[in-house]
Formats: sequence, C-alpha cells, structure tokens
Amino acid sequence: MDFAIFLVQLLNGLQYGLLLFLIASGLTLVFGVMGILNLAHGSMYMVGAYLAWYFTLHTDSFLLGALLSAVIALALGIVIEKTLICRLYKRNHLDQVLLTIGMIFVFNALQSLLWGNDSLGVDVPELLSGSIQLTELVAYPVYRLFVAVLCLVLAAGLYLLINRTRLGMLIRAGESNREMVECLGIDINRLYTIVFGAGVMLAALAGVISAPIASIVPGMGEHVLITCFVVVVIGGMGSIKGAFVAALMVGIVDTFASVLFPAVSSMVVYILMAVILLIKPQGLFSN
Amino acid sequence: MSQDIVLQTEGLCKYWGGLKALDNMNLAFHDKSLHGIVGPNGAGKSTLLNMLCGTYKPTRGRILHHGDAIEDIRAYEFVRRGIGRGFQKTNIYPQTTCLENCCVAAQRRTGGSFNIFARRNRDKLLIEMAEAALEKVGLQHRRDAIAAQISYGEQRQLEIAMVLATAPSVLLLDEPMAGMGHEESRLIIDLLQTLKTDYCIVLVEHDMEAVFELSDQLTVMVNGQHLVTGTVDDVRNDRRVKEAYLGQGDEVI
Amino acid sequence: MIFTNKTEQLFVWIFFPLALLLPLFLEQNVFYINKLTTVLIFAIFVMSLDYLVGRCGLITLGHSMFYGLGGYLFFMIAPEYEAVNFWVYTFYICVIAAVIALLVGVIVLRTSGIYMIMITLAIAQMCFYFFSDSIHFGGNDGLFILMKPDTSLFGLAFFDLDNPIHFYYFCLLSLFNCLAFWKLVLASRFGRIMDAVKNNPDRTTALGYNVFLFRLISYVMASALASYAGYLFALQYGYVNPSMMSWQTSGSALVMSILGGMGSIYGAILGTAVYSGLHYIFEHMTEHWLLPMGLMIIAMVMVFKSGIAGFIENWVERRK
Repeated sequence: MDFAIFLVQLLNGLQYGLLLFLIASGLTLVFGVMGILNLAHGSMYMVGAYLAWYFTLHTDSFLLGALLSAVIALALGIVIEKTLICRLYKRNHLDQVLLTIGMIFVFNALQSLLWGNDSLGVDVPELLSGSIQLTELVAYPVYRLFVAVLCLVLAAGLYLLINRTRLGMLIRAGESNREMVECLGIDINRLYTIVFGAGVMLAALAGVISAPIASIVPGMGEHVLITCFVVVVIGGMGSIKGAFVAALMVGIVDTFASVLFPAVSSMVVYILMAVILLIKPQGLFSN
Repeated sequence: MSQDIVLQTEGLCKYWGGLKALDNMNLAFHDKSLHGIVGPNGAGKSTLLNMLCGTYKPTRGRILHHGDAIEDIRAYEFVRRGIGRGFQKTNIYPQTTCLENCCVAAQRRTGGSFNIFARRNRDKLLIEMAEAALEKVGLQHRRDAIAAQISYGEQRQLEIAMVLATAPSVLLLDEPMAGMGHEESRLIIDLLQTLKTDYCIVLVEHDMEAVFELSDQLTVMVNGQHLVTGTVDDVRNDRRVKEAYLGQGDEVI
Repeated sequence: MIFTNKTEQLFVWIFFPLALLLPLFLEQNVFYINKLTTVLIFAIFVMSLDYLVGRCGLITLGHSMFYGLGGYLFFMIAPEYEAVNFWVYTFYICVIAAVIALLVGVIVLRTSGIYMIMITLAIAQMCFYFFSDSIHFGGNDGLFILMKPDTSLFGLAFFDLDNPIHFYYFCLLSLFNCLAFWKLVLASRFGRIMDAVKNNPDRTTALGYNVFLFRLISYVMASALASYAGYLFALQYGYVNPSMMSWQTSGSALVMSILGGMGSIYGAILGTAVYSGLHYIFEHMTEHWLLPMGLMIIAMVMVFKSGIAGFIENWVERRK
C-alpha cells in the first residue's frame, strides 16, 4: 500500500466514521436522555435516503430534496414520539425492543410499497461532482470531502448545542437525573419530543447525504443499525463524546480491514468491540 | 468482654474517588452480643455494613472472620461463612409466599440448588428449616401468605427470618426498625433481645432509644471516622458524642 | 404431574392430541405436513428463548446464533459422504453448542439490560457474517446435506428422516419432551433459585448464591436446545443458510414468545403457531405482508401485554 492509497483509505475511513457518528449520536442521545433503545433508528436512515431520492427526482435539485427530506423526517420523528414512544417510558426494555421491531417491519413494508425493491441511486450534485488530485495518479471525489466536512460541522453544532445552550443544559440534566428536571418545572415530555425528533432527523440526514455515494436498497437500515450498535457499545451508552471517538475508530478500522483482510472484513469491527468490552465492559466513555 | 471475637476489622477504609466514606475503622464484634452502630447521616454506617457483608470491597484494610482475612472473597461467600445481612429497604421476593421466601434462603444449606431434576417441595427438612425461621420471628401464622400482601412490619420480620434461614453466626442488620410505628418497633426490639443470646448482631439504627436498650457495645461514627466505642453508659457520657450530635456545642455556649 | 397450572393442562390435553391427529387429515398434502413440522421445530427454539427471557430475565437478541449453529455444526463435524448416526450427532451438537454457549455466556452475562441486548446482537451478527462471507460454508447460499443421518438405535430404525410424516411425529415428540424438560427445570430446586435470581438478584446474592453461575447454566441449557432445534431444521430441509442466524430470526422468535405469553413456556407453542399462521395468511393476502405484521406487533405491545396464555388464563379464571 503506497502512501497515496493509504491517504485515500484514511479519508474514506474518516468520512465513513463521521457518517456513522451522525447516526449513532441520535441513537445514543435518545438512549441517554430518554432511556429508550430504538431499534428502528436504522430505518430512519433508510427513510432519509429514499426521501432524498424521491424529492431529488421530482424537484431536480438535491439541495431542495435534502431540505424537504430533513423537514419530513423531523415531523415523522415527532409524530412517532407523540403516538408510540411516549407510551413506553414506564415500560421495560423488552417492550421497547418489540415495539421498535414492529416499526422496522412497518417501515420496510412501506418502503417496498411506495418505492419498490429495486436498487436506486441519486446523482452527485453538479457543484460537488468533481474530484481533487491528491497525487498524479490518485484523485479524491469532492462530494466525499463535502460529506466529511458537513458531518464535522453538524458534530460541532451538536457539541455547542449540548454544552452552550439552555436546551443542551436540559438534555444534560435529563441524562443524569430525570426527576430533577421534572422538579424544576420543565415539561419533560416536550424535551423528549425534541430529542427524539432531533435523533430521527440526524439519522435521516445521514441517509440523505449518503444517498449519492451509497446505493439505496431495501435492508440498508438494518445493516447500519447494527454497526451503530457497535459504535454506541464501544463508546459507552449515552455518551456523545464516546460515540464520536468510537465512530471514527469503527469507520477507519472497517475501511482498512476491507482492504487488508477482505475475507474477514465484516467481522473485524465486532472483534474490535469484543476486545474493548473485555477491557472496559461499560465502553470507553461511560459515566 | 468475655465472649470470643467473631468479626473484626483492621484499618478498614473505603474511598469513593477523593471522598473518604470510611476511614481507618478498627472494630471487634463479639459472639452472643449486640453491637450497635450509630451516627448522623453520611457517617458511613451503611458503607461499613456493606463491606462487612462483602457487597463493597474495601479500599484498604482487612476484615477478619474467626481470624481469617475475608475482605477479598466474593459477596456470596460471606453468607456461606455465616455472615447474614438484612437490608434497610425491604428486600424480599414479593410475589411468593413467606414460606417460599425462607425456602430460598434455607436451600443453600440443604444443597442441591443446581439439581434441575429434584422437585422443589419434596424435601421435608428444607420446609422444616424454613418454618423454624418463620417461627423464630413469630411469623408462623403468615406461612402461606403472599409476601407482598402482609403488613410492612411483618415484611421487616420476614426480612430477618430470611437471614436467619441462612443459619448465620453473624447478623448484620441495617435499620430494621426504619419506618415503623411504636408497637411494631417493640416487636423487633423484643425479637432482637432474644436473638442476641445466640448470635453476634451488628445493628445500624437511627432509633436511639432502641439502640441504647439493646446494645452491649456501642460505636459512634461521624463523617466516616470512628468517634468512640464502649458500653451504652460510656457513650452516653462522652463529651465528643454530645458535640457530634448537637453540633459544635462549646462554641454556641 | 409436572403440569400444575390449570390452563396449561387444558392446553396440553387439547394441543397434543390435536397435533397427533392432524396428519390423518392432511395425509395427501406433504406441503402442509412440512409447514407444520417447521412450526414444531421453531416452537422448540422459541421455547428455549421464552425460558431465557421470561423466566431468567435475560433479554437476548442473539439467540438465533445458536439456532443457526445447530445446523452448521452438523456440517463441521459430520463426514460429507457418509450417513452418520442421528442420535450420536444430536448428542455431539448439543454438547458443542453448550461449550460455545459457556464461552459466549461468560462474556455476555457480565453485562445486563440494554447492554446485554446489544452485545448478544453484535455477537450473533459476527457469527452471521462469518458464515455468510465464508466460501467454505457456502456463503449466502448456505450448504446442502448430501447424506442425511441414519436414525437407528441399537440396530433398530424407528423412523425415516425422509418420510415427512415420520419426521413430523418425531418433532412433535421432541417438542413435548422440551416442554416437559423446561417444566421440570422450573419445578426443581434449581428453578426455585432461578426464580429468585430473576425477581431479585441482589437479595439472592445476599443469601449466598452465585447468581452468575445460575444464569450461566440457564444460558447454556437454552442455547443447547436452540441448537437442537436448528439441527432438526437443517435435517428437515436438507440445507442450512446464514439467514437462520440473522437478527430477524431472533426478533421474530421474541415476538412469538411475547405473543404466546412471556415466561409461560407452553405459550411459546401457541405464539409460534399463531405467528406462523398469521404470516402464512398475510403472505397470501399481499406481498407486503410485513405491514400488517408490523402493525400487529405494535398493537400487541400496546394492548395485549400478557399474550395468548395470559388471555386464556384470565378467561379460565373467570369461568370458575
């Protein structure tokens, strides 16, 4: 592996990791604040990708399509929280698992009902369709760099939101002590709705921006969900910082494994997880 | 003290990060006597009890049971050595009968807990052991009642019966009278009076009247530190104890 | 009598005679016999999960790993072109699965709650990818059994694996044995402590029991029987593929167990039968059968918490 290829793989790994972070942050936030394990989180990623495809096709603009998709995903998240998830707060983990499995079924069915089961694709927007020459022989697509930068911006935004704003203060308080937030006279249900909606939107947004570089296929949600589980478990449940570190780790390890050990590449991240759990059973950044 | 030392701590410490929950505790607990432990909230009484039964591992120091160092063994092995523990919050199996609660406790002694083919209620001896434990605390009339449905005071008695069913030599009791009315407390006090002729009892309790009445030895703790140990009269007349309980008494005057 | 509960007796007396007679009506139709056999086999699997989740409080989303392993293990240890003895290999597979469960259990059971759900899922996925990526084990397409085992015991062949009716009855017998086995375990001295561990693990430790060990033994037993079910499945269709150990298999088994009535053991049979029946009906109604199925699951979590067994028990109670 010469240096240029190494660099390309490193960039790929970082970009993939950042995308994973976008999805996993929603998963870990919803768990940390609300205590809900949302197995249907991957479906939101899928929904985002399909919506992006649909709207880009009908509006001829990826940007417009992306915005519409994000707004719809946010609305979807709020509706799901208000109708289904809100009944689960006092129930056990098993009910959460079952309900969200039911949701996966419904979303998969709706996907095949509305959009069919063919593999779909979205063109890279013209403005970002070029590539940058890294060396004389190796080029790197601009869109992938754009994805990485956008994810970084969103991650930074999330960081500022949680650490610098009133909403973020409530989220942090909700993570450490639910009763206390209620005692302060804050409408905890509203906080939950916002957090869940935001989580769904982040996952859908990840689906939207990965639409031009990934093929849009049925079942894409489940695969990404399990990878996000690995990220969240490695990082420590409920920890955003942990999710960030773990997502980059998983992204890079997975990318290099598929180049270096193609035969066992899909197992490598799980082995990584097992090793980390043996050393730190609660994940890297658990409280 | 004429009786043998059963349980002993040497320089026992528990730190939570920088916080010293318990610092350098040297205590000896004697057979067939009741050792009361009192102190204001946050004095480290529960921490001490949790270490004596193996739930917490000490940061430093030793716990000796009949001369053997036991601070490193697992929590369930403490029980097997005869160190039984009652909880501050009622901690029973609420969905089953009182007898069944005691059967779970007693079954470890009869063995066969890993036998997946031996039927539960075939063993007469086990039932007898469980019944004996219920009888000791005066709950025999509640034998077949569901634990969740008996009164709070009776649940506290059941809690003690379960500890007794493990055939301990040491009883560690964490506020057995918490949240009880006067008459119910009386029942427990009388019960402990009889029990202390057979067991080594370590009692953490907020009800001062009860502790003064029951204790042969009394230890006062403050802020994780040992303040004084002695007979009830020693402690009652100790100036430091008054200070600890009444705040900085001298300065006020 | 190990079936102490009234509803349970009722179920055993209705279900098993019915299941015994059913092939007489379906004699000509091998397709339905095979379908029913699959349900019986899957019920064995769901039952082991029901014990683990409902009676031990260990929520796992990776149980399908052992179901799949039951099939794959046969390929790993049996010679390709030789008919091996069925009973001997049943024993081998259960023992090997138990050893694997012991190793996995030591890692998994150190965690609890949501962590355990995610870790069991991740380990099962690892196993899934191992088999679906491996050329040696046929990848995504799986493997075919060239020689089915020979079922003779002491020189006597009781039944023929290739005869669907024989196999149906054998699976029914297996299912009954499993039901009896789990009831025996629950009624045993071990079962008493396992109940205690589920209801109040801290107290059980404080009474001197090694909670971890009780959980581990339960995990090993349930995993071995799940492998047995997977082995039967592989023998019925003569092939295995990685989808047996996909997380969807675990997920639907969990749904069946809840549908039947979590922790009731016999409810696992009801749940599997009803779920499979619904699956069959929905599939014939529409190609998007996932939609009614998903909606049914959501409705079940919202309003039908105690499952079919709980529903019938209430009904029997009220009729008294």
